[in-house]
Amino acid sequence: MTELHFTDVQRDCLQELVNVAMGQASDKLARYLGTFVHLQVPAIALVEAALLSQHFASRYQQQSATLVSLGFFGDQGLRGETIMLYQLTNVGVIAQLLGYSDDAVSEAEMLTDISSVLTTTFLSGLAEQLENSFSYAAPRILSSRDRDFADKLAYTAEQWQLALQVDIRYQLTDYSFNCDMILLIPGEAVLRLRQTLDNILADF
Amino acid sequence: MALTALICDDSLLARNQLKKSLPSAFDADIITASNGAEALTILRTREVGLVFLDLTMPELDGVGVLEAIKADAMDCLVIVVSADIQPEMQKRVMELGALAFVQKPATADKLADVMHKYGLI
Repeated sequence: MTELHFTDVQRDCLQELVNVAMGQASDKLARYLGTFVHLQVPAIALVEAALLSQHFASRYQQQSATLVSLGFFGDQGLRGETIMLYQLTNVGVIAQLLGYSDDAVSEAEMLTDISSVLTTTFLSGLAEQLENSFSYAAPRILSSRDRDFADKLAYTAEQWQLALQVDIRYQLTDYSFNCDMILLIPGEAVLRLRQTLDNILADF
Repeated sequence: MALTALICDDSLLARNQLKKSLPSAFDADIITASNGAEALTILRTREVGLVFLDLTMPELDGVGVLEAIKADAMDCLVIVVSADIQPEMQKRVMELGALAFVQKPATADKLADVMHKYGLI
């Protein structure tokens, strides 16, 4: 883990890039939902991917949750996966707002659509700042109503060494709608990312 | 006497980026603050002509700073430099008296354009 360590300055740099990309994603989400999104300072943390599934399994134990994951591939070995985790408490309200019917199939479709808006906008904003460009794999959806939710989450996390956990609260003006976004990045891509951050920092 | 300009942003990168991207023709003493509360303390004790203000910040956010500037009728111009680009937010800060809105990341071109437009350079 130590070789994947970020200095305070690298961390601040990454946080600002995430902040800018998040602003773009929120703007898209706000237009998509026809409402205003309150932006908060994103809490970012670098954690061992192995610990992630435990963390989220306990956080979502009491309520139903859905996970949508999207793999991304960039130049120079920069790649990873984003996971969006949704608490389903208010999903029905959002479904109504967007005109999806109130059943499990439509719910999955809606969350895939929202994830796609959020993650592709976020990732392209991030890629642009890193002077990179990403291509994407097909999204994968997983519901906590599936009995092996925790196992599947653990399996996903196990493939990666480092997780950049970005807790984002997308709080809408009229609706409570929270989701967590997690960026998972493998070790060699973390080294690449750190190098890119150093290059950006050297310019300023 | 040169103008004093304040850069208020919680990110060190953003502050450095902005400082370095300011037009060379802009003759000012540059000071910085890393959140809204710090900015207000400076604004209440020093004469600041221009503020570059981020919105999403801990302690006190940019909207809070604009509200305080308006409430106290402080004599300074504010250029908002933010990643929160939603039209409703842009409208809100303009209504609170901001001079202009610059979308992050603040590049030299964007800053030169807006500062030229308002006669700051």
